Amino acid sequence: MTGQLELLWTGLINTFDPLNFAMILIGLMIGVLAGALPGITMLNAIVLVLPFTYLMGIVPSLLLMIGIYCGGVFGGSITGILFNIPGDPMNVPTTWEGYKLNKKGFVSKALGMAIMTSALGGFFSALIMTLASPPFAKIALSFSTCEYFSVVFLGLASVVVIGTRSLGSALISLSIGIFLGTIGMDDIYGIPRFAFGSRIMETGINFITVLIGLFAIGEVLDQLSLQGKESGEPSTRLRPKTELPRFGEIWALRSTILRGLGVGVIIGAIPGAGATVASFVSYGVEKQFSKHPEKFGTGCWEGLVASETAINGSTGGAMIPLLTLGIPGSGATAVMLGAFLLHGVQPGPLLFTKTPESVYTIFVGMLICNLIMILTGLFTARFFSELMRVPENILGAFIITFCLIGAFALRNDMADVWFMAIFGILGYFMRRYGLPIPPLILGVILGPLAESYFLTTMIGEANNIWVFFRRPVSASLLILSLAIFIWPLMSSFWEKRK
Amino acid sequence: MSTSSALAQKRSLRNFLGRIKGVVLIFLAAIYLYSLANNLEAFSPPGQLGPAFWPKVSLLLLMAGCLIKVAELWREGNQKIVLEEKAPSLPPVNVSRLIIMICLVIFSVIGMDFLGFLLANFLFLVFFMSITGVKKKVSLLLISLFGTILLLYLFVKIVYLPLPRGQGIFNDLTIYFYRLLHLI
Repeated sequence: MTGQLELLWTGLINTFDPLNFAMILIGLMIGVLAGALPGITMLNAIVLVLPFTYLMGIVPSLLLMIGIYCGGVFGGSITGILFNIPGDPMNVPTTWEGYKLNKKGFVSKALGMAIMTSALGGFFSALIMTLASPPFAKIALSFSTCEYFSVVFLGLASVVVIGTRSLGSALISLSIGIFLGTIGMDDIYGIPRFAFGSRIMETGINFITVLIGLFAIGEVLDQLSLQGKESGEPSTRLRPKTELPRFGEIWALRSTILRGLGVGVIIGAIPGAGATVASFVSYGVEKQFSKHPEKFGTGCWEGLVASETAINGSTGGAMIPLLTLGIPGSGATAVMLGAFLLHGVQPGPLLFTKTPESVYTIFVGMLICNLIMILTGLFTARFFSELMRVPENILGAFIITFCLIGAFALRNDMADVWFMAIFGILGYFMRRYGLPIPPLILGVILGPLAESYFLTTMIGEANNIWVFFRRPVSASLLILSLAIFIWPLMSSFWEKRK
Repeated sequence: MSTSSALAQKRSLRNFLGRIKGVVLIFLAAIYLYSLANNLEAFSPPGQLGPAFWPKVSLLLLMAGCLIKVAELWREGNQKIVLEEKAPSLPPVNVSRLIIMICLVIFSVIGMDFLGFLLANFLFLVFFMSITGVKKKVSLLLISLFGTILLLYLFVKIVYLPLPRGQGIFNDLTIYFYRLLHLI
């Protein structure tokens, strides 16, 4: 316990190191801006800053991304509350209530309530992450490649099912991602696969190019190809203001906040679930608990608060599997995993024993980040209202330019720029034809990990597949994965019979 | 009545076949790649799964995904016959603008290598913003010019990123501009 307190103190001092603190502030500002700007999501912003993290150590890089993550999930609510345009799917429940509150004349208070409850959700989930991660990491230290494979398998299985409407589409997207991860030199046998004699293909497809292309370029093409986007007009001329709620108003909603936090942390910790699922589930749970469920959808504070608390509550939850097992719990943490790997650091239980100071700096940084978010939200309100007046077509052009530079910066190689452009165009068509992008991304990232853990186990156990079911943790995780996979098929079968 | 029903069924079958085109293409690509993966079997050490195992698993999964998708589309199609099919609610796309935007992205990649980042990016910004609706020519040129110069200062001067300078005369031209801007 004393050791943990000492590490927390070290983390606190490190967080206030000028570079680290500046990264939190910059990250928050970029995140709030990205969330609020039409056409840019928090995830796009995290992807866009990824190449810049080359210049920094792993801690400031992670703090920058955490800042964007926390600020971005809040920022997306602004456009929802103001214009009925959710910045991200996760902000849809906030929009249902926030926009109605806006129409009732509570726009400033709705913005203030959103930022305050987001900050509370984020702060307490970061606290839970700080307390729960070290013991969880200790348990994870006893894991072998067998358990790791099962954890990765759970991540891959959940991403197929949760958050996507079509099992077929998700499976296609995921398996394309896993296949792309096999291109290039095989790590175990040292054989080039699907390289077609090309030197560039032998080095493999850098997953950052896949990320940047699919998310950023695909999004810009999708947004700007729509009819009616040729005017070059800014999306709004309004200037939003925020009015923070009083303590009594927050206290009156304490049960809603606690429920939202619980839902957010638990769902955030499930690999593949993420903030969108947390937001919708929390909204639904709150409606069940409410004495006036009929008021939901008409401008109800409980609905807004439940969704906002869960969104930011999921951020701390999603960091637990990332830091302790190296498994991303959401798209944003998948990119953070990329940042770890870019710096040659493999997140997991060993991170807690090898570099505990870095881990605790990330913990404290996330706590501080959520506190500062209140101030940043208020401070940047005026600034981002100006940026919201920048036409989408100018923003889009510069986003593509940033992507081109970002891809080139990976290895100073034009091949990466080509890959990125190809994946950008593919990303557009995937969006257009309803193929979900997150499973592909997680397939590219988790696929090679799953292959490595699986083949290592098989080599050690003379190809005996039952070893995965002989170890209790591994067996439980695999059964859970199968249940997650089979559940939607069974439920659709039952529905059909009814 | 029966003729109109037969026509509707024929139309819905045609519609279904149109919708599975992409999935069939992916399925065929998966079969081709699976046959390529078979060639990797030769590198498997005795008693081990070898380098072909994982790609094959992913491709089998891909084929399974395609079959599930086809089944989903078939079921969706059948439901739509019953429910008097409604038009899909995808927002309309300006196809010509989309094609030009895609061409511009490809041009910017080719241009970065051949013309160098400075020239290629300036031209990309001018054309991209113009095609997506920036009407004022002066703003278009100023934003593109100062945007490119700002990016050069940020990445070449501060980050020391050796952005492509182009080939032949374009390389000389880029160096001339770099000197003019005190970038080197």
